[in-house]
Amino acid sequence: MEEDYFDFTAQLFNPADAEKKPEALKGIRVLDLSHMIFGPTAAKCLGQYGAEVIKVEVPYQGDYWRGGTYWGKFWKHSNPLWHYINHNKYFVAIDVKLPKGKELILKLAEQADVVIENFTSGTVEAWGIGYSQVSKINPKVIYASLSTYGQYGPFRYFPGWDLLAQGASGVLSVTGHPDTDKYFKIPDFFGDFFPGYFAAMLILMALNWRERTGEGQYLDVCQAEILMRTLSHFTYFGVTGKDLERTGNADPTMAPSGIFKTADGKFIALAVATDRQFQALCRAMDRPELAEDQRFARAFDRLQPEHAHELNDLLADWVKTRTAEDLLAWARKHRLAVARVMDDVDICQDPWRRERGSVVEFEDDMYKKLVLEGPIAMLSKTPGRIKWLTRPLGYHNRYVLKKFLGLKEEEIKALEKEGVIGNWDYRVGQRPPIYHDIENDPVFNYQGGEGH
Amino acid sequence: MRAIKERVYSRYLQKKGAARPLTEWSRMLKQLMSHEGKAEALDDMVVLDLSYANFAGIVTASFFAEAGAEVIKIEPPEGDPARVMSPYGVNVRGVGVPFLMEARNKRHISLDPAREEDRENIRKLAARADILIETYAPGEMDAWGLGYRQLREINPGLIYIAITPYGHYTKRAREDAGIPWTDLTSQAESGLAALIGDLADAPEPYNWPTRAGFQAAGYTSAVAAACGGLIASFFKRRTGEGQMVDIAAADAYTSCVGFPPTIGYIWKKPRPRYGTLDYGLCPYGFFKCQDGYVAIACFRDQDFRAAIKLLGLWKLEEEWRTLLDRITDDIDKVKELNEAVEKAVAKYTYQEISEKFADYSVKAARSKWRGGGLPVTTKMLTPREVLEQPHWQARNSFVKAEHPLYGVVTLPLTGKLSKTPLRVKWISAAVGEDNDYIFEKYGLTKKETSPA
Repeated sequence: MEEDYFDFTAQLFNPADAEKKPEALKGIRVLDLSHMIFGPTAAKCLGQYGAEVIKVEVPYQGDYWRGGTYWGKFWKHSNPLWHYINHNKYFVAIDVKLPKGKELILKLAEQADVVIENFTSGTVEAWGIGYSQVSKINPKVIYASLSTYGQYGPFRYFPGWDLLAQGASGVLSVTGHPDTDKYFKIPDFFGDFFPGYFAAMLILMALNWRERTGEGQYLDVCQAEILMRTLSHFTYFGVTGKDLERTGNADPTMAPSGIFKTADGKFIALAVATDRQFQALCRAMDRPELAEDQRFARAFDRLQPEHAHELNDLLADWVKTRTAEDLLAWARKHRLAVARVMDDVDICQDPWRRERGSVVEFEDDMYKKLVLEGPIAMLSKTPGRIKWLTRPLGYHNRYVLKKFLGLKEEEIKALEKEGVIGNWDYRVGQRPPIYHDIENDPVFNYQGGEGH
Repeated sequence: MRAIKERVYSRYLQKKGAARPLTEWSRMLKQLMSHEGKAEALDDMVVLDLSYANFAGIVTASFFAEAGAEVIKIEPPEGDPARVMSPYGVNVRGVGVPFLMEARNKRHISLDPAREEDRENIRKLAARADILIETYAPGEMDAWGLGYRQLREINPGLIYIAITPYGHYTKRAREDAGIPWTDLTSQAESGLAALIGDLADAPEPYNWPTRAGFQAAGYTSAVAAACGGLIASFFKRRTGEGQMVDIAAADAYTSCVGFPPTIGYIWKKPRPRYGTLDYGLCPYGFFKCQDGYVAIACFRDQDFRAAIKLLGLWKLEEEWRTLLDRITDDIDKVKELNEAVEKAVAKYTYQEISEKFADYSVKAARSKWRGGGLPVTTKMLTPREVLEQPHWQARNSFVKAEHPLYGVVTLPLTGKLSKTPLRVKWISAAVGEDNDYIFEKYGLTKKETSPA
């Protein structure tokens, strides 16, 4: 007899085996010259699946996001939210503005398979570490320049970030209630994170091409364009000549749909995508006549604003007399799309996520226990994984410069003296946790041999 | 060098002699502007898209199609219900807007995995495919003899991508296997809806959890699936081995931005909805000016100083001097600063603020005093206004594709890779439009149930 399907998949994806499995991007080296969220996220994604990521920062300054925690809440002298953005990386601090610093970066770039940067357009070229310079010493390199408006076009020199990209792309204008003057942005710098993963996707396409042909190339990754790619509003405008306005809590592509309040004061989302689901809903509500109603039977009719509105009101009344728990059991029984509105704590404690590995309780050598989000996609043979959290500024200087560039201790000391490389100053976010014995840390004081 | 005459914000580009290294860069950028005669990164791949009533699957397939893969969309003769999931039911000859938008470079054939007589043809295609994308309930394809465990026997190199609300493994995946996918329920369950909406003291339902006004969850799952598929494809190019990629739509938002589980763990309480304020810093948002909404976002102290000076709010400087002052969790204080900015901004038009900020930034970049600050801004645009921007026109960010049935369709496109740019070659959207071509090419058997 054939094995039960879910027993088969449990074995196939067993998180306990993940560490023993191979890494798909092993041997790929990424030079991460980027900062904040957009670029670092692209590099992080590659690092989760086995790429070796070297993150370069400015000595005694570091990535601005080291200090950018929400509500000023730091954790063990680090920004707790930064660990998700930059785990599995090697942290070096090199001053690109000094000739010797530029030289070091070019040497690292020479060995890199992928280079990622997200400075204002043209800046890396002016520094002498752009694609036109790196491709001369490393023609196979995949060099990704990430920016808000792209590398060409009249706005190219405008600096930008998440918020500006959300405004410029049209994303900001579509969220909120139609009768108000408030437009809600997508929180948590979604406008950086989503384009960051999109950039990883484009880099992976280039890596596939390079594996076929040996050719490297240059990528102009444009944050606002990536956000625009998610909106059907442009096509809608092309078809109707009208802007698709804000629609509050209803999804205008599904009727009924909305986020509703339950009898016990909780919130659930409910949406009906297909005619078959609508028939199931009518049966589940014991209202079979609605499924026969000409206004509702077929999706295109049901989606007409006045019809959708009527159904949504009906649903709101239905939901407010029932508890969330009852509704979820009811949805499972009738195969309806109903979901709890989950918050930070719900997600952190969700047993499903822990079992799946999408939320991970990680034990780090330096920072000890932290709960963080797992990899974005689950792969059965080459799963992504977290290997270490972030490290203080310049923590891997010796490790990287000795192991990858073959520098000697005296040379490193000389570079430190000249300010070409360095590490942290007094500021929170840069320095190691107080309890950590940095003097005797074998990686920070790397002598040679294997580490990490 | 023309580029330097544009408004330049970076001090490195304004430096004497900066133009010289930029010449080569500009030459390279010119070559980026067109995809004429260029190669396609994935044109050696065959992708089967069996997604059913699920845009995350459809969009995943689009990314492969834009990169040159032969993407065969397989749907039952009555059509994928995703065809009718369209805003307000707007459609062109029965095809909804989101479906039409994603109908790029695909072949549409009609075969139904639920019908025994069509399965042999699907198996034939799967034997030739590199990637298969499916969104049926976990176990359903397996019960039809088309699951990963059967198809890997006939094609060990197959990469099998599944997208469902709760994935294909874990206890909950089994229990909730029947729950359908929707973008709205994915937004709710993955932590997004809980964070959008007005402050607690606003009236209901404005302070309720709110939907992001586009398929934020669907597109995130799609990028995750494409990243997973491309990582697996890279591994396959090196080892010949396929694998299974599992995406849970209920992970969408949190797997992208990553913050919710870490905040739940460290803060121990969920964040409230914050209206148009920001959890990270203040001010960081769009403010109502005389003729629209303008971005005021100051991360570094020098940017903040510049912005409040230009807005006539210098008296606030002392109290809000450092970043640590501006990332407070004291919501009353934040509201105070926010209101002051709101009042100041309301006096100006967008053009006035934009000019003030731009002049200051360009001068500050040129100045030797490095703390100059770059108060940059942008205007909130609606999709219609985005389409009119000369910048996006110069970048060909929107394609107009023509089809004999559907006329001219406007589509957003991004992915500027210098050697293998993403592109839209055609749109095809009628059920079975490409039956003849694909049946012939892959030697499929024509039967009455699969009309050619």
